[in-house]
Amino acid sequence: MKELFPIKHVMGFVFSLILTSVALLVYILDMSFALGLTILLITAFAQAALQLVVFMHAGESEDKGAIYTSVYYGIIIAVLTVFGTLLAMIWGYV
Amino acid sequence: MLEMNKDNTQPLEYSTEQGRMNILGFWIFIGAEIMLFGTLFASYFTLEGRTGAGPTGAEIFEISPVLAETLLLLTSSFTIGLGVHAMRLGRQKAMMTFFIITLVLGAAFLSFEVYEFIHYVHEGAGIQTSAFTSILLTTLGTHGAHVTFGLFWGIMIMIQVIKRGLTPETANKSFIFSLYWHFLDVVWIFIFSFVYLKGMM
Repeated sequence: MKELFPIKHVMGFVFSLILTSVALLVYILDMSFALGLTILLITAFAQAALQLVVFMHAGESEDKGAIYTSVYYGIIIAVLTVFGTLLAMIWGYV
Repeated sequence: MLEMNKDNTQPLEYSTEQGRMNILGFWIFIGAEIMLFGTLFASYFTLEGRTGAGPTGAEIFEISPVLAETLLLLTSSFTIGLGVHAMRLGRQKAMMTFFIITLVLGAAFLSFEVYEFIHYVHEGAGIQTSAFTSILLTTLGTHGAHVTFGLFWGIMIMIQVIKRGLTPETANKSFIFSLYWHFLDVVWIFIFSFVYLKGMM
């Protein structure tokens, strides 16, 4: 039975619960918008990295170079799209 | 698949050239999905203030169902990880158990989401109410549609594993399904953080 629950996965799960609880502090505690958003950015990206490496085994095969390239490319385009849109549509008009 | 093409030093799902390429191809698809959700988030951040005569996010979001959905999806991501781990040990029964738990958690997630959507409509926040409710329901709905699709996909794969046992092909499909499921959890984390928590701050 024990072999079915590898420590790496259990720790990954515990850590993801901790990250969720930290993110929840933003809702529970009274804090500034900037601080709250900083916490959320850190916890969300840490959570994503955790899933990618621990659970999705992104780096385990010999194709890991191509796999990480594809994921980073997707992330870069997504981040540029989001911040480019914010720049053009929101921040420019404040 | 020809025996001579098999590499026994790798887990079953990587053991054939075709299997390796399928996994790489799926990662490229995930890269495209990241960009898809990027565009949805870009539109959401642009339109979230455009509430018109409708409610704002802070007025309609409820923390309890959102927290339940988050915990369900996080746990299901953990159990499918255990499922793949069991598969690599050759423990087909344990793997099936973990897959079933994962899909049940996924179904529970969806029922909370359906409840949530009904609640929004009762609060007067339908998809046509304002630019904000349109993009909110489109973003949540795109994620929910992915989970719904994943439920059916997961069931089909389980049927194949039961019928054919663990072969390079079925192991490969199961592993790729696990990648998809983990990815949906990642997307949800961003929705949880930047739609709900940010909206309720």
